[in-house]
Amino acid sequence: MKPKMINKTIKDMSSLHQGRMSIYRQVGFIFFIFLFLITPKTISAQTFTSDKLKIQFGNFNMGSGKQTGGGYSLTNTTGQNAPGQFSNQGFVLKSGFQYIYDNIYPFSFQIDNLNINFGDLTPDVGSTASNNITITTPSRRGYQIMAVANRPLSSTIGTIIPDATCDSGTPCTESVSAPWTTNTAFGFGFNATNTAGIGTSAYFTNSTYYRHFASLSNQETGQIIMSESKPVKDSSAKITYKVLVSKFQPAGSYENSISFIAVPKY
Amino acid sequence: MPNFNLSLSPEQIEYVLKPGITITQAYEVTNNSDNAITISTEVLAWQPSGNNGNISYQDVVASPNIIFSLNNADIKLGQTFSLAPKAKQQLVLKVSSAQETSLEDYYYTFFVTQQSQNTNSNNAIGSQATGKIGSNILLTVSNSENTSIQAQINKFTVSPKIKDVFFTPLTFKAEIKNNSQNFFKTKGTIIINKNDLKIKELELNDNNVLANYSRNITCKDQDTCTIQAPFWPGRYTATLKLDESINAPSANISFFVFPFSIVAILILFLAIFLTGFKLRKRFIEK
Repeated sequence: MKPKMINKTIKDMSSLHQGRMSIYRQVGFIFFIFLFLITPKTISAQTFTSDKLKIQFGNFNMGSGKQTGGGYSLTNTTGQNAPGQFSNQGFVLKSGFQYIYDNIYPFSFQIDNLNINFGDLTPDVGSTASNNITITTPSRRGYQIMAVANRPLSSTIGTIIPDATCDSGTPCTESVSAPWTTNTAFGFGFNATNTAGIGTSAYFTNSTYYRHFASLSNQETGQIIMSESKPVKDSSAKITYKVLVSKFQPAGSYENSISFIAVPKY
Repeated sequence: MPNFNLSLSPEQIEYVLKPGITITQAYEVTNNSDNAITISTEVLAWQPSGNNGNISYQDVVASPNIIFSLNNADIKLGQTFSLAPKAKQQLVLKVSSAQETSLEDYYYTFFVTQQSQNTNSNNAIGSQATGKIGSNILLTVSNSENTSIQAQINKFTVSPKIKDVFFTPLTFKAEIKNNSQNFFKTKGTIIINKNDLKIKELELNDNNVLANYSRNITCKDQDTCTIQAPFWPGRYTATLKLDESINAPSANISFFVFPFSIVAILILFLAIFLTGFKLRKRFIEK
C-alpha cells in the first residue's frame, strides 16, 4: 500500500473513531440527564418529628475524626454546611463539631473535706486546718467563688471566738485580707491560695494574708475569695483555716457552718 | 470523708419573654461524689458588682412579678431531696412573668445547695463546710424580641502609648456602658491600622453588658486584649467598633512605636567602636 493511501486510511479511521466517540458522549450525556430526571430526588438530610417539635438536619457530615502525632492533635469535621458560631438575641447556633469543645464539660464545683476540725487548741499558738476547693467551668466568662459563715465560731452557751482582725496596723475585714503572723492577734480567719496564685492572688496576696468570714449573723453576704475570667478545668485552691485563742478563752466546743458558693460570671 | 462534688448544667440561660408568659428550663444536677447527699434548690436575685462580670447578692430585692417554681412532680422549689452517689436529677424550672411586669431586665441565680452533714464530734472546735452551685438566669421582659439598645464606649486606652519595636506587648482596655434597659453582648472588634493599612484585628468576647451597667472588654482566646511585639516603627491608630445593633459610636486612639532598642544597640556599638578607636589612637601615639 502506498504511503498516501495509508495516511488517508488512518485519517478515515480516526474520524470514524472520533465520530463514534462523539455519539457515545452524546448518548451518555442524554442517559445521565434521563437518569437525573427520572430517579427520585434525594437530599442528605434527616428530620425527626414529634407532637411538639421538629428537628431538621440540613446535612450529614461526610467524615470526621481525630488524628494525633508528635506534638499535635487534630480533630476534623468534613461536609458541614456553613460551619461557625451564629448568634442573635436569645440563641446561639454552633455548627460544626469542633464548636462543642467549649461546652463539653459541665459547670462543676468540689470541696474535698467538709469537716474542719482544729482539735485541741493551745493558747497563744495558732492552729490551722485545711481543705481544697476545685472548680470547672466551660464558660469563657469564668467563675467566682464566695464564702460566708452562718456566725462566728460559737459555743452552745453563746461564747464566741472572735473574727480575726489580723496583725495590728494592718487590719483585715471580711472583704480585705492582710498579714496575720503575730501570736497576739486572736481570732478565727482563713485564706485561699494555690501555687501560682491563679484566681486567688487578687484576694490573698500570699499565704500569710488572712481575713475573716462574712457572717450571716452580722447581715453580711458572701464575699468573693477566688475568681477567673476564662474557662477553667479543675482549677483549685487550698483553703487554710486558722484559729488563735488567748489563755482567757473559755474551754468548750466552738462551731459554725461555712458555705462556699460557686457561680459563673455573667 | 464527706465531701461536696456537684455539677449543674446549663450554667447560664438568657431569655426574652413577654409579660404574662411562662417558660420552662430543664437543669441537670449531678452528684459526682461517692456519697448519697441531700440537696435543696432556691432562686436568688443579684446585681452586677464591678465591671468584670462579678455578681453580688447583697441588698438585692427580687421582683414579686417574676415567679419561680419547679415543674417536677415530686420536688418543689426549696424542698430537700436525696441524690444517690453518681446520680443525676433533672430539675425543670418554671419562670412566670406577671401581666403587670415592668419591661426591663431581671437577673437571678438558680442554686442547688448540699445540706450540711454535721459529723464533727462533741467538744470539737471547728467548722462544718458545705457547698452551693448556681446557674445564672438573665431575663429580658419585653413586648418585642428586638430590644432597643443604646451604649457608649468609655476609657478606650492602650498601654504603653509609646513603646519600643520589641519587648512589651500592647494591651487595649475599654469599658462599654449600657444606657438602655436591656442587656446586650459586646460584639465588636479592635482594628489596628498603620498608614491606613489594617495590621491586626482583635475580636471581642461577647460578654453581657447588663442594663445601666458597664463591662470591661476582653478579646477572644485571651484574658485581655493584647497584641505581641515586634512592631514596625511609626504611628498606629486603633479603632474599637461595636456591632451596628448596639448603637454605639466607635472610639479611636493612637500610639507610637519607636526603635528605642535598635538605636540603643547602635549607640552602644558606636560607643565601643569610638572607645576602641581612641584607645588604638593613643596606643599608636605612645
